Amino acid sequence: MSNAIETRDLVYRAGTTFEITDLALNVPTGSIYGFLGPNGSGKTTTIRLLLGLLRPVRGRIQVVGRQVPREAHLMLARTGYVPERPHLYPTLTIDEAMRFHAAFYPTWDTKWADELLVTFRLDRSRRVGKMSKGETGKFMMLLALAQRPELLILDEPTDGLDPVVRREVLMALIEYVAERQATVFISSHLVHELERFCNWVGVLDNGRLVAELPMHAFKNGIKRLRVHHPPSTPGDTPFVLLSREAGDGLSAGEVWVVRGWQATMSQYFDGIGAQLREVVDLDLEEGFVEMLRTFRHPVEVHS
Amino acid sequence: MMFRQVLYTQWKWSAWAVVTTAVAAFTLPLVSVQRAGANTEATDVLYLLGDVAGVGYMYPFLAVAAGITIALLTWAPDHAGRHVYALSLPVPRWYYALLRYGAGTLLLVPTMLALWIGALVATSSATIPQGLDAYPTAIAFRFALATLFGFSMFFALAAGTVRTAIIALGVAPTAIIVTNQIIISFGGPNLVWTALEYLIRLPGPMELLFEPWMLINV
Repeated sequence: MSNAIETRDLVYRAGTTFEITDLALNVPTGSIYGFLGPNGSGKTTTIRLLLGLLRPVRGRIQVVGRQVPREAHLMLARTGYVPERPHLYPTLTIDEAMRFHAAFYPTWDTKWADELLVTFRLDRSRRVGKMSKGETGKFMMLLALAQRPELLILDEPTDGLDPVVRREVLMALIEYVAERQATVFISSHLVHELERFCNWVGVLDNGRLVAELPMHAFKNGIKRLRVHHPPSTPGDTPFVLLSREAGDGLSAGEVWVVRGWQATMSQYFDGIGAQLREVVDLDLEEGFVEMLRTFRHPVEVHS
Repeated sequence: MMFRQVLYTQWKWSAWAVVTTAVAAFTLPLVSVQRAGANTEATDVLYLLGDVAGVGYMYPFLAVAAGITIALLTWAPDHAGRHVYALSLPVPRWYYALLRYGAGTLLLVPTMLALWIGALVATSSATIPQGLDAYPTAIAFRFALATLFGFSMFFALAAGTVRTAIIALGVAPTAIIVTNQIIISFGGPNLVWTALEYLIRLPGPMELLFEPWMLINV
């Protein structure tokens, strides 16, 4: 399987406090890749590196087969980008902004752009600077989609939008992806939003890639286990132990959060003299929080 | 297609400056010859030359002001968006800068033409005393060069970050002047003044701004 986006040993420093460290991303072609991370984790910086807007200290970036930043302009011709904050020229009308944008993209689809204008109920004569947040979000998505890209890089595209607008924007995106089999790289801290349609997920924290795996593995593999009479040291576990916490005080048990869980692994507890009382599925958000917590504070028993 | 759109956007946010500087450029030569033609006595010739010379210093001022204004307006919307939109367009950076430079240069043409037409109208409507000649095309050509000089300098400066501009316009000149004063205080030559003389006198690159601007001369 080829990758639409691939980075190796990517390092970038902003000032003295923030650093992207040895980032190795693999975004499979045709995937919808959710790029998760808390605010300030480096998602936008990573996206700007991928687009060639920032220059890395070292490392290799390849996007749609082009080396970035050297061939960034060739890559950008095939990539739609929705920035975190819109940076269009505020004095232009929607119509003027569309014509300006279209002039730079040979693949621009005027007919579809007009259809999207109607779908999104946008007024051609409205000034970009006078648009509401919802209108801006829809217009940014329109510009990215109407250039018919093979890769869409979306930086928190629905952040701050109301649920109705968010649904409209995501529906247009999903329709396009279904039609073109385009790759989507979408960053967000709204975990539930990505859970619905992403099939790959990468988690970034403090400039480091914490995990990168298929969504089904992420969702299904993280469990909360209630364990009675656990040993003080768990030894070699067949799963990844993310965290251990003392139970609710009514029992002698502990709560373990694990990754890579399969039902057959319950035998492990028989082997160490412990009892597995309960296995609870975690949703993506809980799994995300547990993953970050473990990453920041490696496994220990919390009381 | 790209250039047309870049030109259109730049026109949209620079139109007021283009119109204002074009009107000023058309008016300037007319003002300089308003006393010409009353009679041709020697004293009036001196008055006329005095008027032409008096207004003359306004030409480089207007040329540089027009160039700077258009240069700053060229980059202002990209600066406001921290260049993110421009940099995410699928063209090399040098090509985008060239498109903006070309559009800015084209937007200066109305001002250059207005001065030329103003100079032609002024010199053809005025009675020029014997022994004097009019130089409308020469002054218009010089004005065009001065405008391009101002535009190019500030286009390059405005293309960078605010930090770069502060270094180029503030920190670097201050450091040079302070160093020069230290050299002078130890009995050394005034290097800044020497450099300025080379710049503003023939054949220096800024000579076209500082030599007298005479629409009518001997």
